[in-house]
Amino acid sequence: MTDLSVKRASALRLWLRLRSLPLIPIVILLTVFIIPAFFAEYIAPHDPYVPNLRARLQPPVGFGGTWEYMLGTDRLGRDILSRILHGSWYVLSVSLIGITVGVVVGTTLGLIAGYARGWFDGLVMRLVDISLALPAMLLALALAAAIGASFLSVVIVVGFALWAYFARQVRAEVLLLRKSDFVARSQVAGSSHIRILFRHILPNVLNTIVVLATLQVGIAIMLDASLSFLGIGIPRPTPTWGLLVSDGRDFIATDWWISFFPGLAILLTVMSANMLGDWLREQLDPRQRQV
Amino acid sequence: MLKYLARRVGSSLFALWVITIIVFLLTHLSGNPVDALLPDDATKQQIDAFIRDWGLDKPLWQQYLTFLGNAVQGDFGTSLKWPGEDAMGFVLARMPATLQLGGIAILISLVVALPLGVAAAVYKGSPVDNGAQMFALLGQSIPNFWLGIVLIWVFSVWLGWLPTSGTGTFAHAILPAIAIAWFQVSALARLTRSAMLEVLDAEYIKLARVKGVGEFSVVWKHALRNAAVVPLTYFGILAASILTGSVVIETVFSWPGMGWVAIEAIRGRDFPVVQAVIVAYAVIYMISNLVVDLLYVAIDPRIRND
Amino acid sequence: MIHKKTTFTSKSKTALASLLLAGTILTGGMSTAATAQDKVVVAVSPLGADSNLYWTTTGAFIFPSMQTLVGNSAETGKYDNSQLAESWEHNEDFTSWTFKLHPNAVFSDDWGPVTSADVVHSFEIHTGDDAKLSGISALKETTLTAIDDHTVRFDLPTPDPDFLFSHAGRGSLVIYSKAQFDAEGMEGYEAAPAGSGPFKYEGRDVGQSMTFSSIKDHWSGASPEFDEIEFRWVSEPSTRLAMLAAGEAHAVTLPRDLRDDAAEAGETVLSSSAGAMQSTMLFTGKFMKPEAEETRDATSYAWADARVREAVNRALDRDGILEVLYGEGVEALPVYTMDPRFPGYSQELADRFDEDYGYDPEKAMALLKEAGYPEAFDNAAIPLVVTSLAGNPEFAQMAELVQAYLDVVGIETEMREQDWATGNTAIRGFTADFVTPMRNAPVRPAALGVQIFFTEHASPHLDLGDPEINALGGELLTETDPEKRDAILNEMFTSIYESYAHIPMAAVPATVVVSSDLVEGWTFPGSTSSGLSHFELIDLK
Repeated sequence: MTDLSVKRASALRLWLRLRSLPLIPIVILLTVFIIPAFFAEYIAPHDPYVPNLRARLQPPVGFGGTWEYMLGTDRLGRDILSRILHGSWYVLSVSLIGITVGVVVGTTLGLIAGYARGWFDGLVMRLVDISLALPAMLLALALAAAIGASFLSVVIVVGFALWAYFARQVRAEVLLLRKSDFVARSQVAGSSHIRILFRHILPNVLNTIVVLATLQVGIAIMLDASLSFLGIGIPRPTPTWGLLVSDGRDFIATDWWISFFPGLAILLTVMSANMLGDWLREQLDPRQRQV
Repeated sequence: MLKYLARRVGSSLFALWVITIIVFLLTHLSGNPVDALLPDDATKQQIDAFIRDWGLDKPLWQQYLTFLGNAVQGDFGTSLKWPGEDAMGFVLARMPATLQLGGIAILISLVVALPLGVAAAVYKGSPVDNGAQMFALLGQSIPNFWLGIVLIWVFSVWLGWLPTSGTGTFAHAILPAIAIAWFQVSALARLTRSAMLEVLDAEYIKLARVKGVGEFSVVWKHALRNAAVVPLTYFGILAASILTGSVVIETVFSWPGMGWVAIEAIRGRDFPVVQAVIVAYAVIYMISNLVVDLLYVAIDPRIRND
Repeated sequence: MIHKKTTFTSKSKTALASLLLAGTILTGGMSTAATAQDKVVVAVSPLGADSNLYWTTTGAFIFPSMQTLVGNSAETGKYDNSQLAESWEHNEDFTSWTFKLHPNAVFSDDWGPVTSADVVHSFEIHTGDDAKLSGISALKETTLTAIDDHTVRFDLPTPDPDFLFSHAGRGSLVIYSKAQFDAEGMEGYEAAPAGSGPFKYEGRDVGQSMTFSSIKDHWSGASPEFDEIEFRWVSEPSTRLAMLAAGEAHAVTLPRDLRDDAAEAGETVLSSSAGAMQSTMLFTGKFMKPEAEETRDATSYAWADARVREAVNRALDRDGILEVLYGEGVEALPVYTMDPRFPGYSQELADRFDEDYGYDPEKAMALLKEAGYPEAFDNAAIPLVVTSLAGNPEFAQMAELVQAYLDVVGIETEMREQDWATGNTAIRGFTADFVTPMRNAPVRPAALGVQIFFTEHASPHLDLGDPEINALGGELLTETDPEKRDAILNEMFTSIYESYAHIPMAAVPATVVVSSDLVEGWTFPGSTSSGLSHFELIDLK
């Protein structure tokens, strides 16, 4: 694999891929989601938690509002923009940690199930069935009643809702891979199962995982929002986007900005994540690319 | 075929059993129905009597075995929150409302997603393709409760076309069904698109074109008929996702279905109904998956060996 | 001052939003509106009244078809004879109460006149094992005797000067027909309970709605202007507002801010003629118990220190908070459960309230410093409960606002998002270690309320643990002399007030928003748990 020509070819391919890089979604993701998540403290014009009862329900600029509260204020006089910016950190961490939980659990179980087959495979597939048959929302309600709603409970629910998809997908790919030549060769060469799994099989399913994980960002954010709607999301006053939209939902017809801008942030983020996921899929998944 | 069916039913039953354990533990860990169902000023005697009557003073395993023993005979107990109502009967009475909503939602998502997917495939890479994908994505990017409320204001209040909430006529179901359906459109349209692209590339389609069959007929008759099988595989996940969506949307639209029952029962710690409703959800999911798999096997016998 | 009679307000259409809202009433109203004169639709958040067997509910909603013994005046909320009892009297020490029934009162569906037998029968089922009603404990210990066909007497083990309360809007006893029970049994009640009210039960759709039809020539002379009234349980406030705007509902309950929006759009906001609800935040955990140190770690709660409690109270800008949470008609509340309508009211405390509980962040910080907060406390952070309770959508915001104010003076807090039942579980199990919002609706007689929320006597789990207050509560149980009762209560309230034992919030009227196109007015006293009653008085245009 050290052949220079191969390297040049892959560099060329990389260049070609980079040229088709979907710039708009990436820029949106950065400005709406990722940069605020890390730098909200420096960007946000106001404290997202401190109410200002003299500035309740200020409309945004252009609708009778002032530049001080660019996107308006909520019922307690808190700056919507600042709350969105600060909220992005929680949205980012919930979705990333939740997806990571889903990926790690799902991939590990999927890998072993697909490779080992037998009773373990059966067990994992039953667990997948169970997980898919138990609506995440109901599990979340029961879980919140049992251990209380918290960052942790939300992450558990997101992880629970997603792992089965990873397990199923990974298992399916492993089933194909284990019959392939290079796995057979490694087995003949006496490599340990663990080595085969993690050195040979895992790298080959990595693409699938990355694509799936990117596409799950949207689902994780939506789930977080639904949990906030049911009052079992990350507790107040944490301004997660779901809570912001959910809090403003009563005022859609009148003080629309309370829920509109957080909703827009969700919309832009989820759409961009999905577009990026689609692009990744096209780049990384050869079968898809042929299509 | 029968053996396959038996195996599937067996594993579904196993899954159901595990689900009842999970739900039983979670709900019983979560406090006492006494606290949701008795008033603030309930006396010690009232509380004790309540706990005794409902067997809540027994050890957990004993409560579970009692529950399981009755449940296999179809008896999930009586509701604590809705006195006098048989738990499963109560849930089943609300099932048609949810199935109706889910059915209309599936119908809407198919009606929207198939043409979108086909158009996107036929005009691949064109603005039509991009537009279709954007429209589909939009549904996946808006929190469904928010979409629901916006729909109410636009179509019920401002335009006055449809009722705001509740149930009764077909018109009542349209808005909640759209709020649930849009989320699915994206995935369905995407699947249709890629399936169509594959089929449009196939030899027999090329052959049809060569033979001079009209383009419209090629796309809508020959290609779609073959491509439509692919979205079918998605039906299982679709069902699960629509059931999950119904929990939130039924609340927004005051739709008297299972989602509403689930939320009320969990909040009220109505253990019998919680068990019944979750088992009912799981059964719907499993049956829809089984049907899909059987259809699949019927179409493609090779799968039976997997 | 809580008596303040708030008439309805109607603001002019101003903002852009209101124009939109108002415009739609004209257009949307036509297509789907119920025809105004035939049917009145009231949309409220679900009241948990999903049984026709009223005694198996917590009493959150009395069907307009059913009646209690004692009524509340629509204009003042005072007890009157508008329900089944024509008159009543009690003996000197309040242990024996005799009610005379209206001789002409009859049940619907020809189940005959309302007699003592019906009261006795209803009393029996209301005190049975499956009864869950709020306030029923008081009834369980009484004996009921039918003196003649239209006279009944309750004999109480301990004096209760406030006995009428449970028979009025609280609704601990509603009268079912014995004749119906004899003929049809419990199934008859489940299917369609006959009542003596101005409406007749027509049917329900569990969790959705209930329908009642108006009775022509009702025995009481009440004559509603409409043929039918339907209650719709709709949990989303914005959906309820949409129903009002679309003309699908005549009257809806809305949280404060939506009420303003509706008023701006030209709808009419009506308030109850009397205070309907008191709200507060309670410190939990028997923190004033002297032996707490040995039995549990109550003293490690930050609020076991009176200075911290005062600081918490001082840190709050109540005017601002109440304006945000409740808006028009709200009154500051010096002591939770104290009410000018009932004995024990202290004008002095009300007058001193600003001075002692007024917004003073500097004072709060000084107090904290003096108490050595937070270093001297094992658990310095105060857990604030974020919860929602049907009918109190403001509770979540209340916690949020309190947190923000406490943060300013340096009091650490932590939010606990939990549902109402979880909080109750902790309180009942004596494991509560948080500060939680609480409501008193309908406003109970002071002597009852103070025992429930501050002493060990009525509900032992909500107890300050203060020996002095508990002793006073004990005295109150047996004292019958009105003057002495007043003095004891006064002393209790003063003690609670001076030890900063809770965070009193507000006395609020019940409000309902009615469609200005369809409804002229409606007077109701706010005397029931839901705040709503006297539906026969809904005046249509």
